[in-house]
Amino acid sequence: MNAVETDVLIIGAGPAGLAAAFETASRGLQVTLVDESKSMGGQLVQQTQVLSSLPSIYQPMCGFELAAHLSRQLEDFEIRYLLGHRVIGFYKDGSVGITDEKNVFPLRAKKTIVATGASENAIAFPKWTLPGVMTIGAAQTLMNRNFVQPGKNAVIVGSSDFAMDVALQLSKVGVRIRGIVEKNTGVKANGTEKVEQVRKIGIPILLNSSIKEARGIGAVSEVDIQQGEDIWTEKVDLVCVDGGRSPILDIFYQLGCSFGHQEELGGWVPQYNNDFQTDCENVFLAGNAAGISTQGALLVTGMLAGINVCAALGAISKEAVEEGKQSLWKELESIETRSNLKVWQARNQHIEKFAHPVLKDQFIS
Amino acid sequence: MDKSTIICRCEEISLEEIVEVIANGARTFDDIKRLTRCGMGPCQSKICNCLVAGVIHEQTGMEFHQIPLPRMRMPISPIKLETLATNSTTFSSVKSVLDEVELEDGKVK
Repeated sequence: MNAVETDVLIIGAGPAGLAAAFETASRGLQVTLVDESKSMGGQLVQQTQVLSSLPSIYQPMCGFELAAHLSRQLEDFEIRYLLGHRVIGFYKDGSVGITDEKNVFPLRAKKTIVATGASENAIAFPKWTLPGVMTIGAAQTLMNRNFVQPGKNAVIVGSSDFAMDVALQLSKVGVRIRGIVEKNTGVKANGTEKVEQVRKIGIPILLNSSIKEARGIGAVSEVDIQQGEDIWTEKVDLVCVDGGRSPILDIFYQLGCSFGHQEELGGWVPQYNNDFQTDCENVFLAGNAAGISTQGALLVTGMLAGINVCAALGAISKEAVEEGKQSLWKELESIETRSNLKVWQARNQHIEKFAHPVLKDQFIS
Repeated sequence: MDKSTIICRCEEISLEEIVEVIANGARTFDDIKRLTRCGMGPCQSKICNCLVAGVIHEQTGMEFHQIPLPRMRMPISPIKLETLATNSTTFSSVKSVLDEVELEDGKVK
């Protein structure tokens, strides 16, 4: 079977993928955009919180508004949309296998931008596999995308900015939050305003604490919370765990990319240079896959990957590339130093280390 | 976490089982996988990967950057064999394990 040909294959239609699609399609490149979801915008679709620290050209807006905006700006271009399609792997000849759940067909791209995003990390405690225990993102999806109230009484494990956002949203739809459990001595969220809001509506934030055990028959019905010497029981039907997020790496692994470890970027991250190009010449990356960051930064990394792919395919003048790269890197610095300085430093360190990757074939076993 | 805590929910592998194989010398996710089936269920280690790395770190003191990723194979997510085979115009015959066994008088040599 002959492979479908395209200039640019973008895997993932979240903020980074859509931003990269605009940069490449608007410069006349033939773009194929694949996402397993039938809708565009990735995780933005269920985000009703206002996104802070967007690039300067954007007004503050909610996630779903940003998703709509990013999709709309692609309307003028001829993009091959493969929504509801999954990448299943790569063939020996370099083509990618894509399925629409009925067929598998090969596609060959000159350049690939991998924007597969992040997955949420689990937190284990006795009986964490009971129904009713879910990630914080799953609770938000149930509530905002499927319009299902995920429970009536909840505890949240973890105190990131995202956990604060979802705590406020859950309260708004009538879920009583019995507490936010944080194992460390301080709240993880950087947004002090949101933490204040959470406290103000009466949600206790429990530091130095953890879930000792969950119980229930067929579904979670209570949890034991431990804070220092104290242990008490809360009756809950929902436990939202926020274990942080890590880049989704399967596709990079299949492509033979090398990885480096950066705690602040979410653990193992593909190696890349300041053109957002991996050690595989034709593979670029963007978004959370290049290190966990804020939505504003994800957009900028998508734009950077897009511009650099245009440069590699000769679709943009050298001056325009340099100018674009410089202003986008400035934007990225401004966003990340403002929202999370450690991420910015880790990203730079990660790029610095690109010249000295960890043993490339350490995973071959 | 007590020792009965499930780490791999797909294959229902407990903390105790993982600690045991680490005590016997397992150091990577793939070591643990081969010895316990941890990570061999439908999610293909997408959920337990970070938990297992945490256990290795706690038990051995190895830093996270010293603990390699599990091997990630095709297909990236589960797919029906029927879907995978569609559009294949030529099927090569599947070599069975038995083809490799040499027989003599109907018995394995």
